[in-house]
Amino acid sequence: MNPIRFLFRRKGGKGWHWTDLVTWVWLGTGLLIMFGPALWLVLSSFKSPTQLAEFPPTILPYVSQTAEVGINGEVKELPLYTAVTEDGQVRTLAEVRRIGTVAQMVDPDAPDTVYKVNINDRRPVRQVGFEIENYLKPLQAFNFGLYLRNSVFVTTVATLITLLTNSMAAFALSKYEFRGRNGVMLLIVATLMIPLSVNLVPLYSVVSKLGLLNSLWGVILPTVATPTGVFLLRQYMLTIPDELIEAARMDKASEWQIYWRIVLPLTAPALAVLAIFSVVWRWNDFLWPLIVLSRKELFTLQVGLNTFAGELNVQWHFILAMTVATMIPVVVVFVFLQRFITAGIAGTGLK
Amino acid sequence: MGRIRLENITKNFGGLQVLKGINLEIEEGELVVFVGPSGCGKSTLLRQISGLDKPSSGAILINDRDVTEVSAADRGLAMVFQSYALYPHMTVKLNLAFGLQNAKMPKAEIETRIADAARMLEITPLLSRRPGQLSGGQRQRVAIGRAIVRDPTAFLLDEPLSNLDAELRVSMRAELGALHARLGATMIYVTHDQVEAMTLADRIVVLRGGQIEQVAAPIDLFERPANRFVAGFIGAPSMNFLTPEEAASLNGTPPAGAALIGVRPQHLEPADSGLTLTVTLVEALGTETVIHGEIAGGKRLLLTLPGHRPVQVGGQLTVNADPARLHFFDAQDQRIG
Ligand SMILES: Nc1ncnc2c1ncn2[C@@H]1O[C@H](COP(=O)(O)OP(=O)(O)O)[C@@H](O)[C@H]1O
Ligand SMILES: [Mg+2]
Repeated sequence: MNPIRFLFRRKGGKGWHWTDLVTWVWLGTGLLIMFGPALWLVLSSFKSPTQLAEFPPTILPYVSQTAEVGINGEVKELPLYTAVTEDGQVRTLAEVRRIGTVAQMVDPDAPDTVYKVNINDRRPVRQVGFEIENYLKPLQAFNFGLYLRNSVFVTTVATLITLLTNSMAAFALSKYEFRGRNGVMLLIVATLMIPLSVNLVPLYSVVSKLGLLNSLWGVILPTVATPTGVFLLRQYMLTIPDELIEAARMDKASEWQIYWRIVLPLTAPALAVLAIFSVVWRWNDFLWPLIVLSRKELFTLQVGLNTFAGELNVQWHFILAMTVATMIPVVVVFVFLQRFITAGIAGTGLK
Repeated sequence: MGRIRLENITKNFGGLQVLKGINLEIEEGELVVFVGPSGCGKSTLLRQISGLDKPSSGAILINDRDVTEVSAADRGLAMVFQSYALYPHMTVKLNLAFGLQNAKMPKAEIETRIADAARMLEITPLLSRRPGQLSGGQRQRVAIGRAIVRDPTAFLLDEPLSNLDAELRVSMRAELGALHARLGATMIYVTHDQVEAMTLADRIVVLRGGQIEQVAAPIDLFERPANRFVAGFIGAPSMNFLTPEEAASLNGTPPAGAALIGVRPQHLEPADSGLTLTVTLVEALGTETVIHGEIAGGKRLLLTLPGHRPVQVGGQLTVNADPARLHFFDAQDQRIG
């Protein structure tokens, strides 16, 4: 389909109905609000530190042009500017040095003449360009590979355990009749109201007593029991007809087989939703890993990123670049599982 | 082998007693139909037999073995559910194989059993499909196939045809009858449709409010209903009930103690003397004519006459019945004679 035609599709009839206009503006604004920051982040991650500090900021990343100029027998790489010289001519000049508000500049082709230019009368010569260094340097120096491995390990293992334990709990809470079933469910959901900051200290002492400090398992295990997951899966399992389970029971299936071969496959859409949630949660976890992990070689990406923010200066260009890099896996997961998300969220009424 | 005996089965849900002491003996190879109005406890009774639920009191014996405490898996029964309950994520073949795999049957044996059942039910071309890709009738066959491959002691079927359209229901009914004749296995069939009950059953168990009202062969049930409820429930249109005063002009004399006289619509015929009714509605069905009328006291009366009869709405009609066709009930609604 023609994309232009698609974007400007109307309700029908001649001309634009006011609802077309409202829809268009509404969705356009939504798109801007949702994707604006992400786009800004990605573009900014390719900017040099000076450019990041620039005001007013530019949308696109630029790279300053430089020229090789030989002065006094020395060849130097100097930044180029378009400058208005004292005689009123516009020239492309390279800056040799700057004293206060006055810059000493030379023509790269005739480096013997020195022009004195007020810094307000010149603009850097630059073009759109990407500062790949922002990515390459931390990838080499900053142990990106190691942090990535830790993050991937924590995320996959935590997600697998989350899916397994939460689905087992959900199975029991949806398909077995026992006294206090609703009470247990209520208790589980009620824990949603306890923020992590309240839990932090007791959780820390438990993990520390178990000797899990400075171990990835200490990051994984406290996070795997999620009330959201149990709730989401239980609500979905409630829609699986009991007759199916009774049929399996007549078919001599053990309770484990009923769970593993009947209930779990039928819960796949909800499991996919929980898997996405879990991946995003665990991948983005910062506070808890920061507390548990103090040895550098165990850092996850999010904790590793933190090392760019020193006490005195923050290396924004590296932080931005690595933030983009850490976003990629989550985006990929989203792209592949998104049809489950929409189906699952619509099905469970959960956000 | 499939003899089932129920001894004094009761079932309570909270304070509500749904089964009130069921005693029943089902012979090997019999097709017994549980029939009764919706909510009378048919499904509940079947679930007690299957083992999916446990009775509050009483005992269930299969081939003289007390299985009351035995789990559903170990009773050797197979069940066909009203919703078919096919596993939606498995192919038809896996659906059939699931129970056999769980029983740790050798692969070759599973294959032959599935092939045999599929051939019998003509579902061989469907084996690689999933239930979602099947029509209602095909799903029904698969559900029956899943029961057949297990070679169970007895089949339990809970309203297996109620999700099919009328035409398919009639043909599947005939097939089920043929299947029973061929397998010779014990079957318990639950339905609220008395036509299904009458056509399929060796014996019919009429249930009402968690109690057995009567157990009899279909024709006995029709001709000698044990009480007023069974008389009214079996037969369509249902039986007319008259007080002795209203029935005074009919042929024959009610026996002593008769508080109610029943006569089926099919057994009333135009006559020179008898009950005179004012016709209020005529339904000409072609094969028969259903005439609705009112007698002197204002009681409504129904009769069906074979073929097409030119009867005028608002006209008068005098009808009478063969005295042998009358049913008499006492003050407790029990049959007399
Ligand atoms: N699990 C249950 N809990 C409470 N009441 C139930 C349960 N199952 C069935 N009942 C009640 O038992 C009665 C009989 O139900 P059922 O056996 O399904 O009737 P039917 O003859 O239509 O199959 C109904 O009144 C129903 O509400
Ligand atoms: Mg029922």
